[in-house]
Amino acid sequence: MIEIKLVVNDKPYTLEVEPSERLIDALRNRLGLLGTKEGCGEGECGACTVIMDGKTVNSCLVLAAQANGSVITSIEGVGNRRSPHRVQKAFVEVGAVQCGFCTPGMVLSAKNLLDKNSKPSNEEIGIAMSGNLCRCTGYDKILRAVKIAAEEGKE
Amino acid sequence: MKKRGIGLGCSWYGTGYGNGFPDVSSAFVEIHDDGSATVLTGAVDVGQGSNSIFAQIAAEELGLESQDICVYSGDTDATPDSGTTAATRQTYNTGNAVLKAVRQAKSSLLDYAAHEFSCPTSEGIELKEGFIGVKGDPSRRMPLADMVFQARLKGERFISAESSTARSTPVDPETGQGAPYWPYAFGCQMAEVEVNTETGMVRVLKVVAVHDVGKALNPTQVEGQIAGGVTQGIGFALLEELELKEGKINNPALSSYLIPTALDVPSIEALFVEDAECTGPFGAKGLGEPAMLPTVAAIINAIDDAVGVRITSLPATPEKILQGLAEKREGLEK
Repeated sequence: MIEIKLVVNDKPYTLEVEPSERLIDALRNRLGLLGTKEGCGEGECGACTVIMDGKTVNSCLVLAAQANGSVITSIEGVGNRRSPHRVQKAFVEVGAVQCGFCTPGMVLSAKNLLDKNSKPSNEEIGIAMSGNLCRCTGYDKILRAVKIAAEEGKE
Repeated sequence: MKKRGIGLGCSWYGTGYGNGFPDVSSAFVEIHDDGSATVLTGAVDVGQGSNSIFAQIAAEELGLESQDICVYSGDTDATPDSGTTAATRQTYNTGNAVLKAVRQAKSSLLDYAAHEFSCPTSEGIELKEGFIGVKGDPSRRMPLADMVFQARLKGERFISAESSTARSTPVDPETGQGAPYWPYAFGCQMAEVEVNTETGMVRVLKVVAVHDVGKALNPTQVEGQIAGGVTQGIGFALLEELELKEGKINNPALSSYLIPTALDVPSIEALFVEDAECTGPFGAKGLGEPAMLPTVAAIINAIDDAVGVRITSLPATPEKILQGLAEKREGLEK
């Protein structure tokens, strides 16, 4: 077992993890943060996206031990029912969610984009969201929601 | 060189199991004394939004808001079978079962209320905006919750179990006659594409999709299903190919079986036609699968329009388009 220290959603944790343990498993099984979804498990679909030190990563491809000393934001740290993040609000407003499995990753990718770039172009939004696959929505409403959230952020 | 073209695709699609197989959905309903109602049905909402549709159907019939309706679905321990979430059938088939069940529970409520209001017939009672009362007489009405509460104290319950069966006949292979599906969904889409004649890459620039949904019970969901269908259609037309080798899938990963990403989708304009389906709940019928069908034809036709290459097997990969272009050049040289 390896001891790691990391900050998840503004809370510091010290965890004992297996050397081969993935970050997604540490988040889901050790911290009970079940909002992070495992889709393909091989870094293709983006469902398990979390923000690690300001970068979006596929948490299925990051070893928990590699996250030692890092700051992680998972979907639980973005907003909640009472005070949703503006990206989440926009998703609900336009109906950008169908089965919802890709949604946590989508929201994190969008949030990270808007944190860095408050006025993204359509192309920049497309590129930022292209690592997250969705089979239901056709992305149409998701891209619209990100645009709305970006507009709101400008005010 | 990049060349642009426009193509049209049309589709008609029989929804439900069809071909003589009885298509049954069922639902349990209870109207409660707090002015809410519960709908139980086996129909599984996989994200397309059938639970919202059932809540809307029940709310409309009971004069309530959809948030007053609790839908329990997809639990084989507690809910009655409503078949699979497939065949574009839940809005129409289970929607009909829910509507039938709501109407049955409502009918005993109306009978009870007619008696309470001294109205000669339940035909004279209406449910509207959370109230139950005598039609055309605003002085004789009360909140639905109060009426059901009083009824409960007298031992009345407003519950129902109903099923709805869509019937079809197999097609006679000799004559081609029969009624294999009901209802049919109709759609028409146009696609604009840009074909790179150097690389064979196709980019879809715009898709306009028009679908006959009977009645759009939830326009946001209709738009969502159309956009989802169009994007799957783009994958079907340009990217997706299941490679089988000796019964094994050669590309069982999202890195080798490519589906569209946010960068592959064009602007999608979703429009719908509301030509009421008289056998459907409030005139509605299904949209799920039909939304992706015309996309494929529209894209393939647009490629032909752009570069004069007729693609006859899917997907229209850059290799096939380049081969088509080469054959065309050879033909011209000869």
